[in-house]
Amino acid sequence: MNTDNRRRIKDNIILSFFGIQLLMLLIILSYMVGILIIGGIHVISWKTVFTSMLKGGLFETIIGTFLLFSGTAILAAPIGLGAAIYLSEYASKNNKIARLIDQAINNLAGVPSIVTGLFGYTFFVKILGFGISLMSGWLTLTIMALPIIVRGSEEAIRMVPKEFRETAMALGATKWQAIKDNVLPTATPGIATSIILGIARIAGETAAILFTACALTMRGLPRTPFDPIISLTYYLFVILVTSPSTSQNKAYTAAIILLSLVFLLNLVAIVLRAHYRRKWRR
Amino acid sequence: MKTKKELKLNHRKMVKAERNVKILLFTAASTTIVFITLITLFIFMETIPVFLNENLRIKILFSQVWAPAYEKYGILPLIMGSIIVVAGALVISIPVGLCTAIYIAEEASESLKDVFKSAIEMFAAIPSVIYGFIGLVTLTPIVAKIFGLSSGKNAFSASIILAIMVLPTIMSLSSEIISSVPKEYREVSFALGASKWQTIKNVILPTAKPGILAAIILAFGRAIGETVAVLMVCGAAGSMPGFPFFFDAVFPMTAAIAMYMGEAPMGGELYHTLFFLGLILFIITSIVNTVADAILKKSKSATSGGIEI
Repeated sequence: MNTDNRRRIKDNIILSFFGIQLLMLLIILSYMVGILIIGGIHVISWKTVFTSMLKGGLFETIIGTFLLFSGTAILAAPIGLGAAIYLSEYASKNNKIARLIDQAINNLAGVPSIVTGLFGYTFFVKILGFGISLMSGWLTLTIMALPIIVRGSEEAIRMVPKEFRETAMALGATKWQAIKDNVLPTATPGIATSIILGIARIAGETAAILFTACALTMRGLPRTPFDPIISLTYYLFVILVTSPSTSQNKAYTAAIILLSLVFLLNLVAIVLRAHYRRKWRR
Repeated sequence: MKTKKELKLNHRKMVKAERNVKILLFTAASTTIVFITLITLFIFMETIPVFLNENLRIKILFSQVWAPAYEKYGILPLIMGSIIVVAGALVISIPVGLCTAIYIAEEASESLKDVFKSAIEMFAAIPSVIYGFIGLVTLTPIVAKIFGLSSGKNAFSASIILAIMVLPTIMSLSSEIISSVPKEYREVSFALGASKWQTIKNVILPTAKPGILAAIILAFGRAIGETVAVLMVCGAAGSMPGFPFFFDAVFPMTAAIAMYMGEAPMGGELYHTLFFLGLILFIITSIVNTVADAILKKSKSATSGGIEI
């Protein structure tokens, strides 16, 4: 009895020590984000958001980030969704090519973004001649967004019960009709989640666009997709590396806008996913 | 009523449409193969001059200094920088990540589990440039003050920031793997009179070991590839860091690429040297991902082969 008690106390001590670590970690992380918000909240102003950079605002960086992730989403979403449908509905598990595709997606997900940036620079910027531009940025970031979209959409499609396909096909629908009319509408929230997560990733990316899409000498908004842009991340990076003290207020403002954007996107994704997971997993 | 001929024609059209859809979907899926092949090809191709040019090879491999402005391209300090920073990050993040993962998987209630998981996901989503910013304003002054240094931009700060950045990878994967250990294992252990901690230590962790190892390997891959946050707090000094390493400014490989690629003339020595660094990173992360993937697949089939009710 005595040893039993002692053991229970030891258990409690160890496990609460782990719990305290978790708590402390969450406190540290919240403190870090909090410092950013507290430091920025009194310098942020709507005026900076809508004023051009030439007049000391941040307008172009926000538009740049928006253009960057919306263009990437337009490119990556159909390709990613197509790949996800192929992998989950058409490819059999032991198909060699399907396994190769699976492996390719895993490898793409693991390539460091700076290496993707290096590739984008030689291939899109130089060899294809797109220059340092929005277009090169879109293509480079598509490579990064694809694995996220494919994996998320695949999971969502696989979660749709088999009966949805069988019922439609029993009624005379072809395979594609069954997928298009029954499976995809059911999986839409999950597919949307994966695309939103892909966008969130792109919006926060810096290394891959350093020398593919962004240039500081840019004046005003891009007129064509072959003009360079400035994104929130690039702007933050440049002012923090070159002159951290002179433009601290603008750095805080840019950081808060970026952080809110990424948090908002992730929050939407988390809520959406919780909703459809609850629906399909019993 | 449609005639037989019309129906047949209709059917043929449908079969054709089905085939076209399949081809279209397959094309979309194969772009991933195209992309990974192109990346591999071009990273290798742009590195070839390094292997052919003996002069450059000697400069890269045997110089102790990285100072592109003076045409000194020694990559040893950069490799050292990466190793120091990543090792420091893992030393911090592995124990913390494991302990917290155990707590989330074994102790937290279902609803609390969801809260923790969402919180981890949110922190994983913070862009690396923001982590760098936070490190710059909060961490580096503290480090400078505590250790009495003139600047807090050094390997130690970089390790801490990096540790925080890879923690979500370790925590979420490990807690998932610990949770997936079948319930029966715990019940049998409890029935034999083991306490909760004994069960965790002697039954659950050994079962989850391969998966946890995979999580650590993946975290290593993420850490070595991380660029922007590290660059902002590492101090960016291209000389060999001296013992005890952690309070020197360092220059990890990724940071050097980010810093110098913009000003490297295409086809020049610096350009190819940076691609050589890219190749090293690419090879390391490819190996890391393949190994982690193989371990995860194996352990998944092992646990699903167990008893299931």
